Amino acid sequence: MAEIEKIAQSAIDKALDLGASYADCRIVEIRGESLSYADGVPEGISSLVDSGLGVRVIADGAWGFFGSSLVNKKEAERAARMAVDIALASASLNKSPLEISPLQSYNDSYISKFKIDPFTIPLAQKLEYLAHQDNLMSQNGQVNSRGSSLDFRKLTSFFASNIGSKIHQAIIQSGVGIELGIKKSRREQFLRGFPQNGGQFECKGYELLDEFDFAGEIPRLSEEAIALSTAADCPAITANVVLEGSVVGLVIHELVGHPLELDRVFGSERNFSGTSFATTDQLDKLQYGSPLVNFASDATHPYGLGSFGYDDEGVKSHKVDLIKNGLLTGYLSSRETAALIERPSSGAMRADGWGNIPLVRMTNTNIIPGDKSLDDLIAMAADGIYMSTISSWSPSDDRSSFEFGCEIAWEIKGGKLGQVYKNPTFSGRTTDFWNSVLAIGNEQTFRVWGTPNCGKGQPGQNARTGQGACPILVGNLKVGGA
Amino acid sequence: MIDERILDIFKGAIKKSEADQTEFACESEEFYLTRFAENTIHQNMGRSDSTIWCRAIVGKKIGVARSNEATADGVRDLLKVALNIAINGREDPQFGSLVKSSRAPKSTGFHEQTFVYPASARAGDVARVIDKAKAAKLLSAGTYQTSATALGVVNSLGTEQFDKTTDFRFTLTAASSAGRSGWSQAAGKDIGTIDIMENARRALDKAAFVGEPAKLESGQYTVILEPDAVANFLLLLAFLGFGGKTLQQGRSFMTDKIGQSIMGNNITISEDPFHPMMQYLPFDYEGIPRQKVVIVENGLAREGVYDSYHAGLSGKASTGNALAPDNNYGPYPKAMVLNMGSSTVDDMIKSTSSGVYITRFWYLNYLNPMKTMVTGYTRDGSFLIEDGRITRPVVDMRVQQSMLEAFSNAELLSNEMRLIPQYATLMLVPFMKINNFNLTVA
Repeated sequence: MAEIEKIAQSAIDKALDLGASYADCRIVEIRGESLSYADGVPEGISSLVDSGLGVRVIADGAWGFFGSSLVNKKEAERAARMAVDIALASASLNKSPLEISPLQSYNDSYISKFKIDPFTIPLAQKLEYLAHQDNLMSQNGQVNSRGSSLDFRKLTSFFASNIGSKIHQAIIQSGVGIELGIKKSRREQFLRGFPQNGGQFECKGYELLDEFDFAGEIPRLSEEAIALSTAADCPAITANVVLEGSVVGLVIHELVGHPLELDRVFGSERNFSGTSFATTDQLDKLQYGSPLVNFASDATHPYGLGSFGYDDEGVKSHKVDLIKNGLLTGYLSSRETAALIERPSSGAMRADGWGNIPLVRMTNTNIIPGDKSLDDLIAMAADGIYMSTISSWSPSDDRSSFEFGCEIAWEIKGGKLGQVYKNPTFSGRTTDFWNSVLAIGNEQTFRVWGTPNCGKGQPGQNARTGQGACPILVGNLKVGGA
Repeated sequence: MIDERILDIFKGAIKKSEADQTEFACESEEFYLTRFAENTIHQNMGRSDSTIWCRAIVGKKIGVARSNEATADGVRDLLKVALNIAINGREDPQFGSLVKSSRAPKSTGFHEQTFVYPASARAGDVARVIDKAKAAKLLSAGTYQTSATALGVVNSLGTEQFDKTTDFRFTLTAASSAGRSGWSQAAGKDIGTIDIMENARRALDKAAFVGEPAKLESGQYTVILEPDAVANFLLLLAFLGFGGKTLQQGRSFMTDKIGQSIMGNNITISEDPFHPMMQYLPFDYEGIPRQKVVIVENGLAREGVYDSYHAGLSGKASTGNALAPDNNYGPYPKAMVLNMGSSTVDDMIKSTSSGVYITRFWYLNYLNPMKTMVTGYTRDGSFLIEDGRITRPVVDMRVQQSMLEAFSNAELLSNEMRLIPQYATLMLVPFMKINNFNLTVA
């Protein structure tokens, strides 16, 4: 037995000795590298290693958790003792013991798919890449704000529980992005980000960098930033609106993923992230979207930022339908919350590192593609607005309404793109929005957009999630200019 | 949790460092949090962690590395990583030097009874709140947390700092079956000073408020903001414009406005880490002593806060506001005070013939940063004010408002202040009565 397996087992044994009815232990190491350039200067080059163990128990029918950055047998047993003490304190108040859905044990290993381990690439090569991006952005003399970044992460984990599971995982993720713009005056800046605002993150290796044609895109983005500097504000109208794929990605995140987290539905996030309008009495009844709209949670996707082999309570990753033909049919869930609706866990329990208790989080929340090209969608809109690249998002705490802002919009006139608009926004009610979807982009327009900074929980936890999205055409949407 | 011996480990590593300049910082934390919802404890956790940063400078090349192995071996290995990044990195021609600082005065913010407050005591306190909620036929959800933090910094120029502090925080959302909710929170250093039940009462009373919620039309309203809502705005203003990096890059709304009016003349905002309610750690992640900085004085833009890098670029001295060295946001105020006024909250309400009382905002995000224009929602306790009285709840509304305009339209500030923590920033702020505030139907 490997050393970390022995350490984890000692924590589980200690917790059971102290009266726990359930115990699991995660030993996690996160290695990271982050590099950025701003206006030709290396802004931040840093490396990270963060490791520790977390012990989660049920004692006397209540949860307890303790995490420590020290990974050894003695500390594992201390963590188990602390977790049981904390659980017993909870139990003194809780009258009904919690139940968790049944689960088979697994003895398995999972390694995410990648071609080039980014941690084998020399630092000098990565910096040369950023310097090259910076140089490309500096070719247009009017561009006077430039930023580029790379981010790499390797998560190595071992999970063990008292039902006999022993699961090793290694997951590599990469991120790349640029932002360029025009500072027209001290207080007027017009920015364009690519591949999306903040960059694109996927469960891939260094090969991700070659998937984007930065050299080809930067001249276009530069011209768009220049056009924004003299553009009119987006008009305040109700219109047919085409949303570019990465915009739809974040809309899915906020208006499908979060409302369908079952812990949130049951009130666990009332004090912070909020509740959900999509309550369980509406399961299999609520017409969440138009019949064209289908969503699934799918951690098995080969490159989504929310991909993994097993979640953080040992549930094997699998695909779960959330919305079928517009009807609400499922939730993101844990063993505890799934038991409350008498379903198996969707495998969505994820913790931020070793030092946090797992919560119900998004994995990859993916739209099922339709059959239209982007040009088709714009032609179908006839007269309306096309928006690209999210810049602002604000959903209500029960996710029933929203307002989003984008970096840029174009007028659609006669099915063709016309003048550029700045500061575009769109707002409305969540179910009205999805029920107004008139067409969805095809398989060629599909990409799983990564969100590396999804916040939830107390203490605050960060999760990395994916949203599979295509551009969509939405009818009768309220738009405006901030 | 680490103690002052970590400084000796750092000094030993620095002696052997091949970098031109070397800096170590270690932040160590013991953190406990009881979380409850639907009148039951559903999460309860503890965590012990120590994060170390090493900054190695070779010429004008900077390498930064972070780990959480706070041992002599871990420190030595971290220096190797940082040095490797610096050697193989690229020059930052704008970098000047690390800074030698004298020892900062000792913090008064460490309270033993907060440090040792056990899970059973947290559960007991929460039980009293839940009992009160149940008696009022309300659901309660919230958190009760205690933490102890130690920070040690050493650099090769002779800076040596170490100190520690404790914090507690209690938050409560109460909800009624009619869909109404109320919020309150309390924070501080010494857990012996908390009045849990008084804090709980504020949230419970709001959720229990009787009356059919008013559905208001979109428009401009006179509003009275509770300190939580004021702090929501202050935090975003600080992010947009109080840091030396935003000023130096021309992104701040204060750039080119120093000495000019940017908000109402009744508003003064200071970074004041030594305020008795703050008792903040007395130095930053570079080991530079914190100081009081008047950022806005009687509505006039005065000064931003700085770390050594951006102070150097701006021809100024650091104000002790560096964040951790692997952070690209630049310097940031962590202990802000917005001055109080002379009105009682009752007087503010009585003087309002028609308006909206707002407890807090939710999910504020920038719509147009240049105009300090934000969007978001009201949440957990919005009420109609009619003829100087709070008469009934209001259906939550969307906020679409320039924050600078709001702080320019502040008619009254309360003579009562509350300490509000948000995203690792402490803010001591009053209630605020603001005219011409934009609310729209959500």
